[in-house]
Amino acid sequence: MTGSRAQTDAATKKPARSRRLPDWLAGNLLLLPTSVWFLVLLVIPTLLIVAYSLGHRGVIQPIRFTWGSLVWSNYKTALNPDFLPIFTRSIVYALVSTIACVLLGFPLAYWIARFSGRLRNLYLVLVIIPFLTSYLIRTYGWLVILQRNGVLNSLLGHVGLGNQHLFLNTHFAVILGLTYGFLPFMILPLYASIERMDKSLVEASYDLGHGKTSTFFRVILPSALPGLIAGVLLVFIPAVGDYVTPALLGGVKTQMIGTTIYDQFGSGNNWPLGSAMSMLLMLLILAGVFVYLSRVGEDAL
Amino acid sequence: MSEPDRVSLAFIWDTDSTRFSRRTFMRTMAFASAAGFIAACGSSSKGGSSAPPDVTSPEAKTLNFYNWTAYIAPSTIPNFQKETGIKVTYDNYSSNDELFAKMSAGSTGYDIIVPTDATLVKMIHADLVEPLDLSLITNIGNIEQRFRTAAYDPGNKYSIPWQWGTTGIGFDKTKVGGKVTDWDAFNLPAIKGKSSFLDEARDAFAMALFALKLDPNTTDTGDLDQAKDYLISLKKKIKTITSDYQDPLASGELLLSQAYSGDVFTIQVDNPKVEYIIPKSGAFSWVDSMAVPKDAKHPGNAEKFMNYMLEPKVGAALTNTVHYGSPNQAATPYIDKAILDNPLIYPPADVLAKLPFQKDIGEEELKYSDRWTEVKSA
Repeated sequence: MTGSRAQTDAATKKPARSRRLPDWLAGNLLLLPTSVWFLVLLVIPTLLIVAYSLGHRGVIQPIRFTWGSLVWSNYKTALNPDFLPIFTRSIVYALVSTIACVLLGFPLAYWIARFSGRLRNLYLVLVIIPFLTSYLIRTYGWLVILQRNGVLNSLLGHVGLGNQHLFLNTHFAVILGLTYGFLPFMILPLYASIERMDKSLVEASYDLGHGKTSTFFRVILPSALPGLIAGVLLVFIPAVGDYVTPALLGGVKTQMIGTTIYDQFGSGNNWPLGSAMSMLLMLLILAGVFVYLSRVGEDAL
Repeated sequence: MSEPDRVSLAFIWDTDSTRFSRRTFMRTMAFASAAGFIAACGSSSKGGSSAPPDVTSPEAKTLNFYNWTAYIAPSTIPNFQKETGIKVTYDNYSSNDELFAKMSAGSTGYDIIVPTDATLVKMIHADLVEPLDLSLITNIGNIEQRFRTAAYDPGNKYSIPWQWGTTGIGFDKTKVGGKVTDWDAFNLPAIKGKSSFLDEARDAFAMALFALKLDPNTTDTGDLDQAKDYLISLKKKIKTITSDYQDPLASGELLLSQAYSGDVFTIQVDNPKVEYIIPKSGAFSWVDSMAVPKDAKHPGNAEKFMNYMLEPKVGAALTNTVHYGSPNQAATPYIDKAILDNPLIYPPADVLAKLPFQKDIGEEELKYSDRWTEVKSA
């Protein structure tokens, strides 16, 4: 009796509606895993770094945090002029490799998007293939190429340019390593923008009397701008804080901020200082990104 | 990640070389150590839910042994198993950092670990190792006197020494353009920009302090400032600060490096031009010692194994394989003559007098840390 009653009830109502969760709840449930992920792996760790940056240091117990005595001087130490050259160097390295990535990545992205024909997907896969191996192992690869008895020197020796050049542990090696490591992050967003570009615009530009240079700067570049902006951010931000490249390919004169921060958690025995440096680096990059986006236009993204 | 996976990761870098990356820093940092740490975190949470060990029953006949890669004689474990019926599970690590991280996370299931002296002291202070029941280690008298009274563990309360070595200079004798006898070899013109020192605060400062004829374990700020200035000016002459000097030294990328003795003896196998010296003005010596982690389930078996290692022939077999110094004095008659006669493995008494251990200086170590940061950022 009750069973058939319920059935008819359900049949008279809109059946899909009654069984479905309300939209707001469904949406939030779908967001829940991501929210938990961000909370546990981003928000909480960041707050921990903030707490660490205000803690006391030690050898056996590397960090002690007490609300009663926050150690603000860690920030003062982090801003010590001794560290300034390292901050500056990190930014310069990252800028140079970002520019190198643009110069190398743009033509390739453009070519793949416009002219690679049927093999386009193959070329895209080739761009992504390095990701199949760990960045650390690929950087070790550069070590083998750049070392004194390495591949590069023996190639140069064969063409009579001398085989005893010092490449490793130089500015060149670090910038090369950074450029190599982050180039795909430039190519992929650039490709996505260029691929969406209306080809007829380029032809129209020629038809209307613009030359190649003018067409590039007035038609192609503006269309590729969203990808370019994304690429610059994707390359610059991780490059500034990179640790592996300067540690493996760098030498005494190429210390970057990532290495300095790492050292504070090891031989430097100063977790609070390392945390304060991390926070400062984060703020510095955020400020930089903010200025950059407000200059080039947020809506271009 | 499961234990075998982690170990095989470590082996990628350690393929059949004798402790080649004994103290390597980068590789383990980004690789095995990270994986090991994650593994340790995983296993520690599992450990919490597992049943507590039954204290009334005798120990199971197993022993979980965690040692450096390629740092044991082929006969060591089979003979122990035959003698005692205790089944040994043998796993490897390749740096003190990795070991310390894993032990800090807790509940690793290992019964014996082999930390180097300074790391052992850190572990004792952090309450990560168990005091030994020395009544079970009847062969303790076989240990050479200086390892019984050493500052890192006086009276062997926590540890039984495994092997020992020194931190000196490795160099390519055909290319350095001069005689290498002391730390001032870094000034040889032929090696300008082609040398390295260790990325370890205490080791690097010890080099400077020895060169300046100061106490290598000093906590005097004046001495340390002198050493700091020494290192900063030395930095202008070298190529890099690294603990990963083995491959570059073997391939000729580096011509001279502050180096651990055993690493250089291993390089010699591939490149006989590379030589090792103990600097005239002195160097640190170090000891790797067996210890029992806090949460070990088979401490009794661990002590049996330690006692077994102190048997004369067992200790000798180890040194004959790995070519490091044996702290087991009773083993001496059975050690190969070539090893005993090698003054770089067994330095004569007058040299030995200049090879102190690194002293634990507690929180004073921060004085080194801060100056080390200055050196590295200069």
